Amino acid sequence: MLAARNPTPPPHDIAARLHHLRDLRRVPLPNRVARIADLHTDEASPVRKLVAEIIGELGSKHMAYLPNMIPCLLHLLNDETPAVVRQAVKTGTSLFSKVLQKLVIEGLFSTGGIDDALKSSWEWLLKFQSVVSHMAFQAIGNEGVRLLAVKFVEKTVLMYTPDPNVPSDPPTETTEDMGFNVAWLRAGGHPLLNVGDLAMEASQSLGLSLEQLKSPKVKSLSTSMIIVFVTSLSAIAQRRPSFYGRILPVLLSLDPASSIIKLRVPGAFHALKSAFSACLKCTHSSAEPWRARLLETQNIINQGDSIEDAANAAKNFGDTSNREESWPLMERSTDGSNKRSLAEDMNHMTEDDLHSTKRARQSFDANEHSEGSNKRNVESTSVDISSSQPSSIRTGNSEAVYQLIGMFAALAAQGDRAAGSLQILSSSIASDLLAEVVLVNMQHLPISRPEVDQQQLPSTSSGDGLPFSSFFSLLGTLLKRANQIDQDEVSPAKESAVVSSVADDIMTVPASSPVPSSVNLPIEENTNSPTVPLCIETTDAKVSSAGGNSSIDIPESSEASHASTEPQGTQEHASTFFGSFPADNSSAGFSLAQSSETRSPSSSTVEANHSQLSSLSSQYVLPKLVVNNIDLSDEAKDLLQKEAFVRILESDKQEASGGSIARLLLLAHLGVEFPLELDPWEILQKHVLSDYANNEGHELTICILNRLYREAEQDQDFLSSRTATSVYESFLLNIAENLRDMFPASDKSLGKLLCEIPYLPEGVLKLLEGLCSPGSNEKQDKDIQSGDRVTQGLSAVWNLIMLRPSNRDRCLELALQSSTHHLEEVRMKAIRLVANKLFPMASISKKIEDFANEKLNSVLEVIPSGDSATTEMATPEAHKDVGLENLTASVSDVQTLMSLYFALCTKKHSLLRHVFAIYGNLPQTAKQAVHRQVPMLIRTIGSSSDLLGIISDPPADCSDLLMQVLQTLTDAAVPSRDLISSIKILYSKTKDVEVLFAILAHLPKDEVLPVFPSIVNLPIDKFQSAISRILQGSPRNGPSLDPSEILIAIHVIDPDKEGIPLKKVMDACSSCFEQRTIFTQQVLAKALNQLVEQIPLPLLFMRTVMQAIGVFPALVDFVMEIMSRLVSKQIWKYPKLWVGFLKCAILTKPQSYGVLLQLPAPQLENALSKNLTLKAPLAEHAEQPNIRSTLPRSTLVVLGLAEDQPQQPAATQAQSSQNQAAETSSSAADTATEVTKESSAAS
Amino acid sequence: MVAEGKRWRFAMVCSSNMNRSMEAHSQLGRAGLDVESYGTGTHVKLPGPSLHEPNVYDFGTPLWGHLRRPPPQGPRPVNSNHSKSFEISVSLFAMSLCGCRTGYKRNGLLPMLKRNTSVKLAPQRWQDNAGDGVFDMIMTFEERVFDLVVEDMSNREPRLMKCVLIINMDVKDNHEEAGVGAKLAVELCQKLEAIDGDWEDIIDDLITAFEKQHKRRLAYSISFY
Repeated sequence: MLAARNPTPPPHDIAARLHHLRDLRRVPLPNRVARIADLHTDEASPVRKLVAEIIGELGSKHMAYLPNMIPCLLHLLNDETPAVVRQAVKTGTSLFSKVLQKLVIEGLFSTGGIDDALKSSWEWLLKFQSVVSHMAFQAIGNEGVRLLAVKFVEKTVLMYTPDPNVPSDPPTETTEDMGFNVAWLRAGGHPLLNVGDLAMEASQSLGLSLEQLKSPKVKSLSTSMIIVFVTSLSAIAQRRPSFYGRILPVLLSLDPASSIIKLRVPGAFHALKSAFSACLKCTHSSAEPWRARLLETQNIINQGDSIEDAANAAKNFGDTSNREESWPLMERSTDGSNKRSLAEDMNHMTEDDLHSTKRARQSFDANEHSEGSNKRNVESTSVDISSSQPSSIRTGNSEAVYQLIGMFAALAAQGDRAAGSLQILSSSIASDLLAEVVLVNMQHLPISRPEVDQQQLPSTSSGDGLPFSSFFSLLGTLLKRANQIDQDEVSPAKESAVVSSVADDIMTVPASSPVPSSVNLPIEENTNSPTVPLCIETTDAKVSSAGGNSSIDIPESSEASHASTEPQGTQEHASTFFGSFPADNSSAGFSLAQSSETRSPSSSTVEANHSQLSSLSSQYVLPKLVVNNIDLSDEAKDLLQKEAFVRILESDKQEASGGSIARLLLLAHLGVEFPLELDPWEILQKHVLSDYANNEGHELTICILNRLYREAEQDQDFLSSRTATSVYESFLLNIAENLRDMFPASDKSLGKLLCEIPYLPEGVLKLLEGLCSPGSNEKQDKDIQSGDRVTQGLSAVWNLIMLRPSNRDRCLELALQSSTHHLEEVRMKAIRLVANKLFPMASISKKIEDFANEKLNSVLEVIPSGDSATTEMATPEAHKDVGLENLTASVSDVQTLMSLYFALCTKKHSLLRHVFAIYGNLPQTAKQAVHRQVPMLIRTIGSSSDLLGIISDPPADCSDLLMQVLQTLTDAAVPSRDLISSIKILYSKTKDVEVLFAILAHLPKDEVLPVFPSIVNLPIDKFQSAISRILQGSPRNGPSLDPSEILIAIHVIDPDKEGIPLKKVMDACSSCFEQRTIFTQQVLAKALNQLVEQIPLPLLFMRTVMQAIGVFPALVDFVMEIMSRLVSKQIWKYPKLWVGFLKCAILTKPQSYGVLLQLPAPQLENALSKNLTLKAPLAEHAEQPNIRSTLPRSTLVVLGLAEDQPQQPAATQAQSSQNQAAETSSSAADTATEVTKESSAAS
Repeated sequence: MVAEGKRWRFAMVCSSNMNRSMEAHSQLGRAGLDVESYGTGTHVKLPGPSLHEPNVYDFGTPLWGHLRRPPPQGPRPVNSNHSKSFEISVSLFAMSLCGCRTGYKRNGLLPMLKRNTSVKLAPQRWQDNAGDGVFDMIMTFEERVFDLVVEDMSNREPRLMKCVLIINMDVKDNHEEAGVGAKLAVELCQKLEAIDGDWEDIIDDLITAFEKQHKRRLAYSISFY
């Protein structure tokens, strides 16, 4: 009808069809069902899905139509679209439970039997069930469907089995919220269903489920399947505890020990873990036997966890603490009393003598209130203890503990006979284990102590080594003080100080009498607090452990307790206790009312009292002291708190020398507990600094910081831990700054403090940075930043690097930063630290090296390379002021960057090579800087093998540097043989004679002579330095060449052969002549004497002769001798020398006349023809009778002193020889003039 | 294939619904995802009268509503019994708001509250908001919270038979880490939403890949609505 009027839209318009389908809801029922049956095969999957959904809606309302619809649903289970299948399973699940419920109820209550529709629906649903179960246990394509199928199975199992939480008797009449329990069927009479059959079927399904989690099937399951199976099974186990015995073994077998799951995504493992903890919470009796195994497995899981955590500790620090925290949380939820778990207790005792306020806060719960208001509700407390403790034991060796307890019990049962064995046993157990045994066994203590125990108490307790007598005396004084106050201020209430006191009062003991009366009573009533019971005893099971608290706490706490003006209302848990004190003043008793759960300063200290007292005498009853309560204004409370705080500080000050650790702890603790707005930190800080050196300032600071650190780390709450962190940081920074400013730089306090604090915040590191690298951040006081401060900072940094591996990198950074500081003083200090102390540390040397390397290389990057670097200096400052200043500035800048590297080179010589390698690319300024630093560096290193390696095989472009190095190496030191050979190798490669300079003095003659031409070829200044080196010689062997040998060496050079310009040789000669002190007259004479014997004569010989005369005129006679020898050697045969000879003769006239006359006539004629001026004086000279007689006629003819006898051949000969001479002279003319010039310059 | 719900609905859960989940809420919201956020703790805490005594507020208290108003109208902590405590908290709150104490400036409270104003009115408790409807994925930032959510889900009677994926990623409870964690959460959620087909089939691979890529450990569980 309606459907007919609105025909189904075309298949392609899915949206419209869905809309159409939704509209079906308005269609009358029978038609609707028919339409649905039609549509369930629709092409579009969304439509089919919606059909499945509508079947659910319809079916649950109108069950009569179910038999028609469920087949469709069954059909949809085979749909190809997972979403449709999922919806079908969902629909089926809900229909299944509804139908079953209805079936049961109808079968039980309906008189007319079960209607057919229902029956047939049920049959269909059973088919549905078998299909879905099949899906759950077979690996089908789609995980999502399978998950739901598993869920369906869970549902059926739950439905088929009796629910222990619902009455197993059927209700007398049907109601809306009657619930459902298949156990109702037990009453019998149901025509269709049998509780036994259903249970059987459930059991089978369960078995199949469990099968999935067993090996090998579990291995093929995906993580999500495992998770769902595990959660599903654990849900079944919790809701149907009767299955515990079947399910848990399987779950337990999955534990990480069997490592089936462990390897996979942690999700599955986690599911298992939470399944275990959920199962643990089950209180049903069937679950009980499994507790031990569950606990054990949980232990293993936790241990595995903690191992993993330890591995990840660095990464997930917070995470670890979270996990640890999660345990107490769970315990808390099972813990009914304010008892702590034993394990926690143990930790706690070792960890902190005071108490953990955190736990106190946690363990406070509503239960306490009710318990507190129940008077004398001791019973319930103790019951709680015994029930809660076993579950809270989770220490790893709990097994051993129980075994030991068993042994003890067995021995004790034997009575006196076993006393000896008992003793042996107890003495052989490790003390901590024994303690645990005792603690665990505490739960077996009877609630009320046997009479015998009471009497023996003092003696047994003192056996524990507690200072009992002192404690008694303390308690005595306490009582006396209380008494005084009692009389002074609360006398009206005195009579009522008996057990039957007003229950609503909470009192604190004004134990410390010097309370200023103006401040009024330190006692107040808290009207909000629950009523305070007159408890018989505190049921603390921590007698022995709590007794471990030092009794020193007492005076402190009693002092503090007068500040207990503010028992925190809501958190009030007053576990009042009292006991009669067996002392003479027992008439005036008191009662300690305390708010053990508050976190006010008073409570914490009073609790210290509490544990003391409870440890002593749980049973002693003290009469109660009743005091009027006074309301204080908030301001007054603040004032009181503050004054109390200050008072403790003052007393700490007075007792400067004897300060106890307890006081330090107390102060630190108070700081944490104190209201922030009263700013305890500033007060504490002032106190610490007021007399840091003498009054344990260091210890107190450490104590406070440790405490804050613990707050920050332990409290997982974001805000309070952050607050603690910031308090920590600012407190530390303030102290550190003050220490820096207060003490001289030589003081070690700051360094010590930084080494011992829990961790180094960034602020302090900044402070250190300021010390180490003054001026680098913000403005610094000038007077502070003396060199000593730098030393202080650096030594602190050094200590930190040594002692705090975790901060090592950061501290190293500081040191390194300082080592490139622009001030040389600072830099050198830092470099000394880094190179001498830190660099040898293997773990960080690489870092240091990298840093230095980077800085060194940065020289290359910062300043553009090239010769024009001076002008091209692209650094910003280059633009500021160009010029010489800029240049020097940048040299020092470069030096700043490089000095660390050079310092490292002295420690690790192999680093040197890099300097040589980059030298060529360094800009001019950098090169300058290198040259400045190299001499010192090389002197330090000496000729190490690395350096020798570099010398014999240097990188390209570093000759300047190399020269400097060589020079430095040989300066004032005899070069080693290795060095010499390295340099020789180098020379053989480079052919650069300069490299030999350094060792020139140390080379033997036969090695010097071959290189001598090259030396001569050098620029004149280098030549001179080479000569001086050669002459200097080695101390051992003396100079390899003496000056005359040098001269000779110069002269024997053949310019043509050696390829050296003659000019160079002449220059070399000249430069020798300039050094008259070395090249003396004798030297010259000796040299000339030898030279004249050379064959052929050296080219420059005559020139040298002339120069010699020019320098030393006294040599003239010697020269004449030489010249006559030349004549005898027929000097005219060497045209070049001949010219020189004649020049020399002219130069040395008249002495040379004799030599000239020795010339044969043709040569003489030749000479005279060239030098006409010579003829007359020579003739005159020859005319002297004694000479003339010695002269041959031919000579005389030449001189014109005798007639020429025409002799043709002779004339021809003369002619020819004349021609020859002319020729020679013209060819040598240039040389001659040159020589003249030179000689004139030389003279 | 037409996915069941193209749009996923996400829940971000941490302990207080103040920092981590709020940051994730904020970032997911900005990324255009359908998201809510919750806390599983019993109370919301803000710095209180002493270091050790945070002010405790009930979930649902608009803790930052008064950021624009003068401090005396600040929220009243549930643990304040007399006016003094309240005043302290208010004054502290005021101080923290103007950041005049270096400590608070540093502890990131102010930026946190400012961020929260842009997200929602008040922190919400997971356990108390079961009525918020069905989520496709619940992300937790702490194992303890994860456990609580899983437990809470298993305590609810499954009616819809609708799978919900619960993923835990540990994130340290501070300002910086919350930001990092939220970024990862956005990425993960976008990956999930982009899944074509059924997440059940590929969730293991997806999680493993994510873990590898970000060097984070994830744990997941599946519960049913």
